[in-house]
Amino acid sequence: MRRLALGILLLLTHLCEAQFGSAVAFPNSSEKTVLDKSPEFFVLNWKQGTILNRSETPMEIVVDSVGAQKVNIFRDNSDAPVLYSSNIITPVCADGDCRLMHITLYWTLLGDYAGFDRSSEEPLTKHDHDEFLFSDYWKLHELLKDHNSILKRRAIDELVTKPKPSTIEGVDALSGATIKEVKESVVSGALYSCYVAWHLVHGDIKDQIKAFTVAQQTEGMLVRMLNNENINYQMYALENLTKNQYDTNFSRISTLFKSGIPLVRSFIIKNLAESFSKEPNKMQPFWDALPYIDINTRSLLLQHINTASEATVTSISGQLSVLTKNQIRDFLSHLENKSQISSEILKNLRAFADSSKEKNSYLVVQFLEDNS
Amino acid sequence: MKKLLIVTLLLFSSISLFAQDVLVEAESFDNPGGWLVDPQFVEQMGSSYLNAHGMGKPVKNASTKVNFNKSGSYHIWVRTMNWVPGDWEAPGKFQLKVNEAVLDTVLGTRSGWGWQYAGETKINKKNETHIELVDLTGFNGRCDAIYFSTKKTTPPSSPKKLASWRQELAAEPNAPEELKTYDLVVVGGGLAGCAAAIAGAEQGLKVALIHDRPVLGGNASEEIRVHTEGIYGNFERILKKIDTKHYPNGSAESKLDQQKRDENVKSYDNIDLFLNWRAYDAISEENSVKYVDARQTFTGERKRFTAPYFVDSTGDGWIGFWAGAEFSYGRESVDTYGEYWEEHGELWSPKEADNAVMGSSVLWGSKDTDSPQSFPEVPWAMPVSKDYAEVNGEWQWEFSRNDLSQIDDAEEIRDHMLRAIYGSFSNAKKDEVNKNRKLEWVSYLVGKRESRRLVGDHIFTFNDAKVGKEFPDGVVIEKRAVDVHYQTVLEDEKNPDFISEALFYRGPQYYIPYRSLYSKNISNLFMAGRNFSCSHAGLGGPRVMLTTGQMGAAVGYAASLCKKYEVMPREIYTGYLQEYLDLIEEQKYEKIPTSKK
Repeated sequence: MRRLALGILLLLTHLCEAQFGSAVAFPNSSEKTVLDKSPEFFVLNWKQGTILNRSETPMEIVVDSVGAQKVNIFRDNSDAPVLYSSNIITPVCADGDCRLMHITLYWTLLGDYAGFDRSSEEPLTKHDHDEFLFSDYWKLHELLKDHNSILKRRAIDELVTKPKPSTIEGVDALSGATIKEVKESVVSGALYSCYVAWHLVHGDIKDQIKAFTVAQQTEGMLVRMLNNENINYQMYALENLTKNQYDTNFSRISTLFKSGIPLVRSFIIKNLAESFSKEPNKMQPFWDALPYIDINTRSLLLQHINTASEATVTSISGQLSVLTKNQIRDFLSHLENKSQISSEILKNLRAFADSSKEKNSYLVVQFLEDNS
Repeated sequence: MKKLLIVTLLLFSSISLFAQDVLVEAESFDNPGGWLVDPQFVEQMGSSYLNAHGMGKPVKNASTKVNFNKSGSYHIWVRTMNWVPGDWEAPGKFQLKVNEAVLDTVLGTRSGWGWQYAGETKINKKNETHIELVDLTGFNGRCDAIYFSTKKTTPPSSPKKLASWRQELAAEPNAPEELKTYDLVVVGGGLAGCAAAIAGAEQGLKVALIHDRPVLGGNASEEIRVHTEGIYGNFERILKKIDTKHYPNGSAESKLDQQKRDENVKSYDNIDLFLNWRAYDAISEENSVKYVDARQTFTGERKRFTAPYFVDSTGDGWIGFWAGAEFSYGRESVDTYGEYWEEHGELWSPKEADNAVMGSSVLWGSKDTDSPQSFPEVPWAMPVSKDYAEVNGEWQWEFSRNDLSQIDDAEEIRDHMLRAIYGSFSNAKKDEVNKNRKLEWVSYLVGKRESRRLVGDHIFTFNDAKVGKEFPDGVVIEKRAVDVHYQTVLEDEKNPDFISEALFYRGPQYYIPYRSLYSKNISNLFMAGRNFSCSHAGLGGPRVMLTTGQMGAAVGYAASLCKKYEVMPREIYTGYLQEYLDLIEEQKYEKIPTSKK
């Protein structure tokens, strides 16, 4: 009943294009002041026993018809910032039918989506007033994780009208692929809620949060980010650590080179290009990672083959099956430029050339013919 | 039977003395049957070839007839390749039938392009010899050539030796004997090339338009089926003659637009259209292109083209490349042009330059039928598709990898996409809901987004688009978001490596200056299309086909002024800019015939 009353109130205000203004902003009393467990839907790792305490920030999110809503920061016991959050109450209007959406949103230190808590009293509902099921919340979580969602670049009107071929200059009509993408990414029957939530999470507040964090950035924060599993934290740390800090954290960086995502690996190896010639021994863990890394990064690694030890070159000659055609070509051309090829390398090459299951064996056959 | 197809001669080297040799080029077969002539990778593997693109159903035999000068016992080699070697049966298997006998050897089973020994057969010179290619799988078996010799000496495999061996065998002189002279030679008949030819022709130029496919339009053609995007800018009248409707990519509707485009271009009397002709060289002297040499993709016939001005609308920038034009490939470092975009960081513009480029797509689709449809097991496709299941493919089906060049490794890229398609469709077929579904269309042409970018007097960058920078010579206009793609596997190795994502930067209307449309160091070379002068991120917006079409029209008009004043493209900017801009303004409307004035 209360919801209905609010809905009518909001509908009226919406129709009148009026705003409640901050004087009638909804209280955020339900927002937690201490976080002792992970938000229900969360993208970061939550270490057992973590306790985070809330404090205020000057940042706020202004929601149409409702007004400003506070953005808070959660810090750990050592006062280091960990998360941002905001208890959001916002109207969601579809075809003149407005309802309130209650949700507590979390952001990472870099302003990326971190997760959400649903309201136990005010569950999210769909267009037909059915409450969200757990699977719907999960889908919403997946949608919010996608910072580059199709919802980013489409007005809501475009997403609800039937697509037709565009005859107007500069207007991209919705293609079949777009319609499919929208359908797959939003909660069925809750396009408006999804759209509103996505734009709250990924709106202007992102940049403000990041700037707020950057203003209090310390070496400790960067090192924590480097050691975190979150990719954007890792990239941010790698982009901002100094050369000395790279040295101090070399162990973690070489681990990330093996275990990170391709984007992180490529960034690391490009940043350490000089070390291959200046400190070849130190870079051995990178060579050891060769069979485990992605193809793009492996190509970047093989660009440093001239600085590799004889033992490393020999080792690679025994791992040709993990290399692509062009990587094998590059490796063979490196061998061709050497004054002498060891018997062990030749043995490895012959074994590869003789294998009937290696699709690139013909390259080595040709190489051995040309260099016999 | 075409005389040029088959070359018979007594080799004069001491080794081959008295040997009788016959080389049959597969693309020159009298009847290709269900096999398709595939000329996409000539620069890499040496020739057009026949491709058994049956989408899993063996195609009809290709056949031809050959006259031998000498009877005897001949050894036979077939130049072929197993396009997915591995721990499974080769996907593209076929056999050779000589007269009534099918040779036992299963072909298409050797890794890498080269000669596979097929066996020995008796030939009687009194009778025409019938040769057929018998496809066994429908999965892209490929045959470049068949070589008969009375001596058992395998022909050379290495690309260099093979080219000279072929030339020697064909007794071809270095340069084509026939010379064709024009005012403007346009190479590449995609949207840019078509628009350039039309604009030039409308201004009275005698134009040659050389295109390596049977139909015009490139990525917009019925063969690739990408719809044209962007705006018409100053050239709506021309571009509406060659554009497409906004149907879903891959739609068969592209056939209607194909007809419109081909008819419109052919309606110009002063455009000589060379369809199925592929340029293979450009000869330059004193930083100026003198000739472009081209070869008929079926017959091997050659022609030399000369003109005071050339347009490189090949997409891959081949004319510029052969002529020695400066070019770039890959991503510049973020500092090169200051193309930083914080939101997407390394994905948008890397700290250090690299070889990453936007990838190529192979579009495809399937349809529901009234009855159950089988689809063969494709174990050779599964390492690429893994458990991905799909029944059609849109623009996101895109492949790029830094160790692969979109030019030099285009065949591997196309083949990777074929594995992705067949594997994903096979996975989808395991779902009961798709039991009646059959593959309707899979392109065998690789639709490229990015390759060489020839360098002009101005390099168009993301920043030019971002701020909508105005230029005195801003002849191409676009409103479309700057849209740069990346492979999703970069962010998560669990993603399929053949699916991309787009990063959109929505900014103001932006302009491409005329100075990005001619070469910096080859004085008479225009460029239009994705090989225009831009950075990697700068290409993100204007790479779509209405924009590249605008570029084509812009250079066509510029060429007409070049001829009028006998000047080079740069001088249109330095000396005749106002007249050029006026001409662009005037051409927007059909002229009223004098009789109706």
